[in-house]
Amino acid sequence: MKVVKLHEGRSHQWLVFGRDDERPSKIIDTNQYMIKTTNHAIMLDPGGIELFSAMLAAVVHHVPINQITHLFASHQDPDIISSLGLWDKTLPHAELHAPWLWEGFLRHFGCNSIRYNPLPDEGKSIRLDDIELQFIPAHYMHSSGNFSVYDPQAKILMSGDIGAALLPDGAPLFVEDFDAHVDKMRLFHQRWMPSNRAKKDWIRRVRQLDIEYMAPQHGAIFKGRDVQRFLDWLDELEVGTGIPR
Amino acid sequence: MQSRKKNSAHFFINAATVAAELSEVLSEAKNISLEAMNAKALVARAGDNVRTFKPITDFMVELANDTIWLVKEINREALVLSRTSLNELHSSDAKERFSSAQKKAAAAVHVETLDPIAKEAYNAHHQQAVQLRRHMRKLFELLDEIESRMLAANVVTATSRLEAATAADSYQASLEGIVIKLEKAANRIKHIATKCRHSLER
Repeated sequence: MKVVKLHEGRSHQWLVFGRDDERPSKIIDTNQYMIKTTNHAIMLDPGGIELFSAMLAAVVHHVPINQITHLFASHQDPDIISSLGLWDKTLPHAELHAPWLWEGFLRHFGCNSIRYNPLPDEGKSIRLDDIELQFIPAHYMHSSGNFSVYDPQAKILMSGDIGAALLPDGAPLFVEDFDAHVDKMRLFHQRWMPSNRAKKDWIRRVRQLDIEYMAPQHGAIFKGRDVQRFLDWLDELEVGTGIPR
Repeated sequence: MQSRKKNSAHFFINAATVAAELSEVLSEAKNISLEAMNAKALVARAGDNVRTFKPITDFMVELANDTIWLVKEINREALVLSRTSLNELHSSDAKERFSSAQKKAAAAVHVETLDPIAKEAYNAHHQQAVQLRRHMRKLFELLDEIESRMLAANVVTATSRLEAATAADSYQASLEGIVIKLEKAANRIKHIATKCRHSLER
């Protein structure tokens, strides 16, 4: 499992975990994120059960396990959070922030000890030591209950499946050539994102944010100008193509 | 690990299958009970002509009641066993994943913070394995019990045949019919119990 420091500030760090060499070949590659503050840590979309051991092993290189007090799941998919049952054994005192819509569903993965904090549709903010994290509504992008996470201090938006790309093994962790990258994102967004209206709503919200990095759960991370280029590209893209016109 | 997982997966499926197979035993046991009622009525009607058949009908009633009770117990125990083996499978999987994380993180700064979790996973799995063995033993005991009841039924059918042969001609055919049905039901139950045992032993 590769680990890259995305941000190092006075009060906190962003780490991205991904490109696991030992990942079983038939499962989709995922990026997991961790924000580490002075006394706490939150894992964003901690991943599927198949990745759990590698993730746990990677995490303890950076924090003692009991410093992880929060988890976040952008939505209910197995590649996002099917490891929940094992995190539940690992972090019995932690809190899971996830869409209220999926509580009864996510508990099927096993959530006996971790406290489920249901995120309301309109979103909310939490504080971890000196930083604020905002859960931005991203409903129907692609899941019907879905959130992105924004950190105004680090100017990072963890966008979940938005901005995802299906890349070959060993692909770079950051977008290097936006125009070439578009081809690797198109199908994903057209087929997985169901609603043009939802897409416009999310873009409107996100355009109001000051973003340096946009970090999706699959594929490569956008930085600087590529964030705006992505929003413009998505704005023009027709989604919901699973149903023929 | 893959092959162990596969075996455990088969095991909880087999335990659930045992519960399903037993529904047939239950219906055979109900048949014995019905035949026992017929036999009782016949014995009452025949009076002294088939007096020696009375203890046999009493045995049939007892056998039917015991079998029904045993089947219900086996059924309950098989479902508990299926659930326990699934828990054992999950706890074994968790133990393996924590252990794998410990190995991968051997050089990590905070690797020691994994120790209590890995130990807890190990203990949880050990407990589940103990539970699994306990429930398996109980289920095998119950299957032993039902098989030995059916062996006893075979002995009784042999005796009953002799008794039926010495009864008055007008009752002979009816009594022999009852004996044949008892024998068939007992053999069928024994066959299913043996099959259940084999699927659990696989």
